[in-house]
Amino acid sequence: MNPQTQKKLKRFREIKLGYYSFLLLCFLLVTSALGELLINNRALVVSYDGSLYFPTYAAFHPGTDFGLEYTYQTNYRELQKKFEAEDNGNWVLMPLVPYSPYENHSTDGIFRPSAPSVEHKHYFGTDTTSRDILARLFYGTRIALLFSLVFMASVYLIGITIGCAMGYFGGTFDLIFQRFIEIWSNIPFLYMVIIVFSIVPGTFSITARITILLVVMVLFSWTSMTYFMRTETYKQKARDYTAAARIIGAGHTRIIFKHILPNVLATLVTFMPFTVVGAIAAITALDFLGFGLPPPTPSLGELLKQGTANLRIAPWIVVSAFGTLVVLLTLVTFIGEAIRESFDPKKFTVYR
Amino acid sequence: MPIRFFKPLAILLGVFLITSCGNSSEQDAALEPTRDNTQEVLDYYASHPNFFSFKTPEDIPNDLVWEDGMDLPDIGSPEAKKGGTQYGALQDFPRTLRLVGPDSNGSFRPFILDNVAMAMAHQHPNNQNDFYPGLAKSWAVSTQRKTTYIRLDPDARWSDGEKVTADDYLFAFFFFQSEYIIAPWYNNWYGSMYTNITRYDDYTISISIPDVKPNMHYRTLNLSPAPQHFYRELGDDYVARYQWRFVPTTGAYEVRKNDIRKVRSIALTRVKDWWAKDKKFWRYRYNPDKIHLSIIRDTPKVFEAFRRGDLDQFGLNLGEFWYEKLPDDDPDVQNGYIHKTVFYNQRPRPTFGLWMNTAKPLLDNRDIRIGINYATNWDLVIEKFFRGDFERLKTVSDGYGEFSHPTLEPRSFDIDKALAHFANAGFTDRGPDGILVNDRGQRLAFTLTTGYEALKDVLTILKEEAKKPGLEFRIEVLDGTAAWKKVQEKKHDIQFSAYAVALEMYPRYWETYHSVNAYDIAFLEDGSVNPDRKLKTQTNNLEAIAIPEVDDMINRYRSSSDKDEMIELANRLDETLHDHASFVPGYKQSFYRVGYWRWIRYPDGFNLKHSSSAGRYFVHWIDTDMKQETLAARKSGETFPVSIKVFDQYKGD
Repeated sequence: MNPQTQKKLKRFREIKLGYYSFLLLCFLLVTSALGELLINNRALVVSYDGSLYFPTYAAFHPGTDFGLEYTYQTNYRELQKKFEAEDNGNWVLMPLVPYSPYENHSTDGIFRPSAPSVEHKHYFGTDTTSRDILARLFYGTRIALLFSLVFMASVYLIGITIGCAMGYFGGTFDLIFQRFIEIWSNIPFLYMVIIVFSIVPGTFSITARITILLVVMVLFSWTSMTYFMRTETYKQKARDYTAAARIIGAGHTRIIFKHILPNVLATLVTFMPFTVVGAIAAITALDFLGFGLPPPTPSLGELLKQGTANLRIAPWIVVSAFGTLVVLLTLVTFIGEAIRESFDPKKFTVYR
Repeated sequence: MPIRFFKPLAILLGVFLITSCGNSSEQDAALEPTRDNTQEVLDYYASHPNFFSFKTPEDIPNDLVWEDGMDLPDIGSPEAKKGGTQYGALQDFPRTLRLVGPDSNGSFRPFILDNVAMAMAHQHPNNQNDFYPGLAKSWAVSTQRKTTYIRLDPDARWSDGEKVTADDYLFAFFFFQSEYIIAPWYNNWYGSMYTNITRYDDYTISISIPDVKPNMHYRTLNLSPAPQHFYRELGDDYVARYQWRFVPTTGAYEVRKNDIRKVRSIALTRVKDWWAKDKKFWRYRYNPDKIHLSIIRDTPKVFEAFRRGDLDQFGLNLGEFWYEKLPDDDPDVQNGYIHKTVFYNQRPRPTFGLWMNTAKPLLDNRDIRIGINYATNWDLVIEKFFRGDFERLKTVSDGYGEFSHPTLEPRSFDIDKALAHFANAGFTDRGPDGILVNDRGQRLAFTLTTGYEALKDVLTILKEEAKKPGLEFRIEVLDGTAAWKKVQEKKHDIQFSAYAVALEMYPRYWETYHSVNAYDIAFLEDGSVNPDRKLKTQTNNLEAIAIPEVDDMINRYRSSSDKDEMIELANRLDETLHDHASFVPGYKQSFYRVGYWRWIRYPDGFNLKHSSSAGRYFVHWIDTDMKQETLAARKSGETFPVSIKVFDQYKGD
């Protein structure tokens, strides 16, 4: 690693707020990757008639696998109670929160929001159809995070490639692409989402629909990235070191990847967290408006909507959704600030 | 970069701005100059001499028994006071002010047509088989001539002051039969369900129908005229030309041009010197001077506006509102500011349920459809989501008294039976997610579409339950209009929807089950299935049902004049459709609930037996003094008696 970068990273570590936010976010990401082990209505381990089952990641176990009468997915919470009552050596180990984000689990016989309760293990309460809020928040956040990370990566890949090429090659290529981008970025994004979703057949699975949403969002978001890349590349291209590299005989590829990109990236990196924040906000807003993830996919936007609709009778819905959103966005913003500060070229360069 | 992502919101704002800028008068002006179709109409009458006849009063038979319905009880309360402004809300701004044609069948139409415009005579809301006079003064039915003779009320006026005469009735047939209006249902109904209209003088007409029906009154007297002077410019550009013109009405409320505030609100004003204001059956109704309707898209916001007192009433049919958001112990209720009322009514029930498109692969298999019936847990939805307030719908023709099937029961949730039927259709194994697959690897999954945003929770519950017998519903919640468009284009798999049903003596089957509404040419000459048939769009046959026996029964039902035969046919049709299993009956509600501020007053018995909603017959009135009093009391903390009432005098069917 070159000493410049080491310096930057060291500086990043020194900015405590951002650094700890970064660690916390990483921790959240790792946790959410293992979410099924923490929040799930499938048991972690079932010991039945001497053999052990690990249903979490396996294909579903019909009730008949555990001596029950039904052929659909085992209700492990009930199985646990049954085994405890029978007391013949069988046991079930449930995750911390034994609910899936989809199931309606009513504690009082009616599907309605119920307040947080440790007794029922609904730690954040339930939503309007008695689904566990913690589970929905958790998986909703996971989808939002994953979505925004993939979104960021795609936007940067396209934006950097095209912007860099525009700046480096210039001339007609630059001219044509600039006009194209101007036109493209004037296509209304929300209309496109609405139009695209009106022609997407309903038979598409939820994953496919999320992917389509992602693609549409990326398609209409990469353009702004190119402006920065283009100007930056132009700037670097005119610098002496680029000219020197060329005189030595370096090819285009080498110049772009070895010389220009590393110098430009410093500025770009600082944008990244804000892109993530934007993507989370955008997906939440779209969900809130009803154009985002199809129901019953857990999502922050949907919870927020429920929360605002039931503000008087179930404040815990909006509190948990809003709280999560605030924490998430604050973390990412802190990281962003820290990166911006530590990567600020003005700190190290003689150019002013 | 952050700016980038506020774009969706900015664009949304833009959408509102753009839509709010379209100005109607500019569009009107851009159209061609006025035209006059007087001659065209006369030519049309002349070219259809059998349909449009012109005779003299001497031609009216002498043996007729004239009736006028004046002995029926009055409607509404003599205590009703005129005046005040009623504040309500609509979820969408009306897309047009036309009464027919594209986009006209929206949530605003009841205010300018269904609940307000007058017909010649109306079914009495306390006994649907009796008629009370509207635009007619008296009428006589001649069954052997299949004709109703009507003497019109010469007092009747359009809201623009013009007289309502026999010509407006003749013109109505021209209007509804014409292709200009782009309304195939009207073309069909007015073209095939009537055979003749005769003008005897300015205020006497007769209308004939092809077959004698048990409810001839309903078919003829329920007709309304169309203002000929207003439709003089009728032509190919009808849809655009009349888009934002208020059609003169015979009823109590009109829309004035400056009350149309695009996207934001629309208001109705009581017609000045309304011609029927002192007539029996009409004098105690339509009491508010003005009805102001704001556009509020979100139900929660509508509710909040109601709680603030910005809106006068709010429908509390959903349990979450009745029990949680406005519970009996709410301060506003306990202080007597807001009254809560349950009213049991009797009328045909809207057909809430799942409509399967049998033209889609898999859904064309009866075993799959029966399986879906067994896999849909409506009982759970009714018990836990609707808190046992609603009942299971039995057939598509519930609430028609003897015309409803007496014994037929819908299929209850039954995992084993569902699995057995799915297995018959080749779906025997469960995939890794528990959803059934057949030997070709096809998953048993269907899209379940709805336009009822407020009821999407119902679908998520059904989805979770359907997983047990290995069926997957993919839920698609669309905007109301988009969802309706989807079914009208027959692009749905399964639709959660309901038809609003009119207060009629017997159910209709032709619209929803006859093959002519399913395919262009459903069967070939020899009666076999046409292999090249194409789905017919823009009809109400949502299940794409094309069964020759059903067609046969419907034809006989439509032409039958014998009530017993019709009941028998209706029952057999219900049975056949039950066996066909392309409809999963959902739920029905035998009451409506409403919350209203105490300044909204209702008659002693609250409402009328056949009323579908509290506002249907406009019997309420606004007590403006009470409004002042209540608003002052809210500030001072003064309280009034609590009013939580159940009116079950019509509880039953």
